[in-house]
Amino acid sequence: MAEVTMTVNGERRTAHVAPETTLLRMLRDELQLTGSKLGCDVGDCGACTVMVDGKSVNSCLMLAVQADGREVLTIEGLATKEQLHPLQQLFEEKGSLQCGFCGPGVLMSAKALLDENPDPTEPEIRDALAGNLCRCTGYTKMIEAIQAVAQLRHERPAAKSVA
Amino acid sequence: MVEKKPAVIEKEAQKDALELLRAPAPAPLVPLPIEVLVPEARQQTPAVRQRATRSDARTHGLGQTKYIDDMYLPGMLFAKIKRAGVASARIVSVDTKEAEAMPGVVAVITGRDIPCNTFGPSLKDQPVLADERVFHAGDGVAAVAAVTEQIATEALEKIHVEYEPIEPVLDPLASLKLETPGLHAPSPNIYGHKVIKKGDVAKAFAESYRVFEGSFRTQMVEHVPLEPHSSLATWDPNGRVTIYSTLGRITLGRADISRTLGVPMSRVRIIATIVGGNFGGKNEITTEPVVALLSKKTGRPVKCTFTRPEEFMSSTTRHPLIMDYKTGVTKEGRILGRQIRLVLDGGAYCSWSETTLGKACILSAGPYKIDNLYAEAFVVYTNKTMTGAMRGFGAPQVCFAYESQMDDMAKALGIDPLEMRLMNALEEGSLSPTSQKLHSVVVKESLLQAAERFGWKNGNGSANGSANGSRT
Amino acid sequence: MKKRGRGIACMWYPIGFTVAANPSAAVVKINEDGTATLLTGTVETGQGSLTILAQIVAQELGIATDDVHVVSADTDTTPMDTGAIASRTTYVTGNAARLAAEKAKQILFEVAAPVLGVKPSQLEVADHKIQVVGFPQRNMHIGDVSDRARGVNGQPPIGSASYNPATVALDAETGQGKPFATYVYATQIAEVDVDDETGEVDVLRIVASHDCGTPINPMLVEGQVEGGISMGVGFALEEEIMFDEHGRQRNPNLTNYIMPTSLDMPKIEVDIVDSYDPTGPFGAKGVGEPTCVSTAAAILNAIHDAVGVRVTSLPATAEKVHAAIKAKRAQEARQITAGAA
Repeated sequence: MAEVTMTVNGERRTAHVAPETTLLRMLRDELQLTGSKLGCDVGDCGACTVMVDGKSVNSCLMLAVQADGREVLTIEGLATKEQLHPLQQLFEEKGSLQCGFCGPGVLMSAKALLDENPDPTEPEIRDALAGNLCRCTGYTKMIEAIQAVAQLRHERPAAKSVA
Repeated sequence: MVEKKPAVIEKEAQKDALELLRAPAPAPLVPLPIEVLVPEARQQTPAVRQRATRSDARTHGLGQTKYIDDMYLPGMLFAKIKRAGVASARIVSVDTKEAEAMPGVVAVITGRDIPCNTFGPSLKDQPVLADERVFHAGDGVAAVAAVTEQIATEALEKIHVEYEPIEPVLDPLASLKLETPGLHAPSPNIYGHKVIKKGDVAKAFAESYRVFEGSFRTQMVEHVPLEPHSSLATWDPNGRVTIYSTLGRITLGRADISRTLGVPMSRVRIIATIVGGNFGGKNEITTEPVVALLSKKTGRPVKCTFTRPEEFMSSTTRHPLIMDYKTGVTKEGRILGRQIRLVLDGGAYCSWSETTLGKACILSAGPYKIDNLYAEAFVVYTNKTMTGAMRGFGAPQVCFAYESQMDDMAKALGIDPLEMRLMNALEEGSLSPTSQKLHSVVVKESLLQAAERFGWKNGNGSANGSANGSRT
Repeated sequence: MKKRGRGIACMWYPIGFTVAANPSAAVVKINEDGTATLLTGTVETGQGSLTILAQIVAQELGIATDDVHVVSADTDTTPMDTGAIASRTTYVTGNAARLAAEKAKQILFEVAAPVLGVKPSQLEVADHKIQVVGFPQRNMHIGDVSDRARGVNGQPPIGSASYNPATVALDAETGQGKPFATYVYATQIAEVDVDDETGEVDVLRIVASHDCGTPINPMLVEGQVEGGISMGVGFALEEEIMFDEHGRQRNPNLTNYIMPTSLDMPKIEVDIVDSYDPTGPFGAKGVGEPTCVSTAAAILNAIHDAVGVRVTSLPATAEKVHAAIKAKRAQEARQITAGAA
């Protein structure tokens, strides 16, 4: 058993896991953060996307021990008690999610994109989502929502609230 | 020779394994905005036609929607199913002793343990776990409940099954020939047949300016819901089982559990969560009876989630179709008669094939006024993945055929594809292929609206930019 | 070289099961403040059924979507439903929900009528009120009526109903009959670019015109069409389960089973056809499956328009399209030679 300690959504967490445990399994099974989903377990579908040290990763492809000492952001860390993240707000308004299973992964990829590129073109948005499979929506309303968030920030830069 | 079992080591390993049964860390306090902000459209009356946001949109966006695999009940075990890996065989023996002895494995079941081992939405030809015969490589032959998913998966390797392979039939046209020994003998290979007959097709062809023939084929595809099939069973002391499931049809699911387990319906409770995509693939039981039995045997809640490979191999798929179309038209492009033969690859089990057969046959003529029609459809068994309900029940396949032929005919006659469709389209009050008087018919309206938006009449997007898009 | 092409495909699709009974039952309970609860055995699989069922009940009761809480999918507590299948939820479960709401509403009308000095048949609902037809100023808040129904009349406003589409069995020999209560119709037009050197197909744009009767929620209808088109694109060009000679799947994983990503999707424009079905709840029919029916046909017709080849088996992979282009060129070359001879 290996002991891993990491900052998850701003909170220091420690767990004891078998060395072959993936970051995804640790988040879901040990820390009960079930927002990140298991869709394929081999890095094909993106449902497990989280951010590690500011970069989006497929958490099913990363071992928990590899995330030791690092900063992990999951879907559960996007909203605050006061408000939803603008991406969550716009996804809700635009009807971007249907069954919702791919949602957390898509939202994390979208956040990673906007963190790096606050004013993406449509091809850039499509490219950022290319690793997140969705069967329900055809991606159309997700792209519209992400464009709307970028537009919002363009209009009100002060509204860029959540880091 | 009696093998000396190292009792001390085994006990330690067992202790380690059971240690894993402990409850996980308490769930962290996830910040959730509690202030209820109701979007405008949800507050409007009248409610119909509002672009109301979904009631589950917020929990989805927060990652707070609980799907089956997110659920945890104290003491819960994890189940995995061993897949045959051989397309057609007789099962000679199943040896589960080594798996049962593994530390962390709490129970193993096989087809023998299922009280009533047949089910199906129409023909009850499908087993919960294959007992005597394997009909496709994704058939389940045994199931394990263990303290972790990892141990359950490893235990599958320790189950030894002896198969006597039988030559598989993979080509539906081969299966169609009655000489092929029936896969599900004594049932015939052709397990469904449908005919729609209207008017006089031969006469219509004789009177046609030209008769077109075309053959079309479609492939097997899978629903690929992002959420795999999953269920979680737990019993109470009164012998009532509660099964949380991804089933899209819980009334049928309860009936199937009642039947396969031999339990009255009043003792069965099925609760479907918000499901992560169905598309037709979650409309019959898969893991449910397995978890229910393992839960009963172990006295603990048991959860089973399909792996992604199992989604492909062991859940239903879309019927591949072989479609032969013969259509007679006037010089102006009016369809006088149509003759269709459909052969559906019905896979290893019937599942939703009867419905698909019926719909494919009825829809095969297309949304057109055709007075003379002969459509005949067959569905046959093959030793491939079971084909069942998938978004469209045969409609996407036949639409590919009839709309491809429509364009072929339009091109040969020098008529614009849009005009040819408008000429033949069903109208309000038209009679369908089954002589049903149709109401609220808007084929032409949809054609014109799409063409308008696309800029069809301006030649938008066409290969040679010509106004009517056709090439003579 | 990239060749542009366009293809049109129209379709029809039925609502509900083929002839067979496929009922749905529903219960509506109106609370003492005029909000309501709907009990339904249907399952939310992502299509948004719980939202539109709330809208249907809300419409019947004259309240808002957010006032209706939907409880679903529990065989212990919700009435039976044939299930989320065959695009039947809006039409069959929707009709059952509307009828159940109507029954609960009728109890309220009978309670309000004497208070407002009229007959129940002279009442209607609008904007959280029960009011007299033609004289909306004579009204009571729906919550007050509900409270009165329970607390004064002793009649809690609960309505229970079921619905099954009307069909006629098909003749065994000729297949003639009425297999479905209603159908929907649609057209999709695809614009593609085909690379005539590699056979690769790029779907640039799809215009979709879909009939769903009255769109209970246009945003959700669009979502269904967009999602259906993505399945259609995959069906047309990419997806295939492949078997080896022993009958085992060769690609049971998402690495080698190719399905559309955000990069594969065209620009989609959705129009809802103006239509009304008197047999459906507020004129609605359904939309779940029809959305993926005509996509592949439209794309394959567009390929035909672009490069003049008819691919007759799906999926139309680059290899297949390229092989067809090569074969066509070879045939044309032979014809020229034959003509010259």
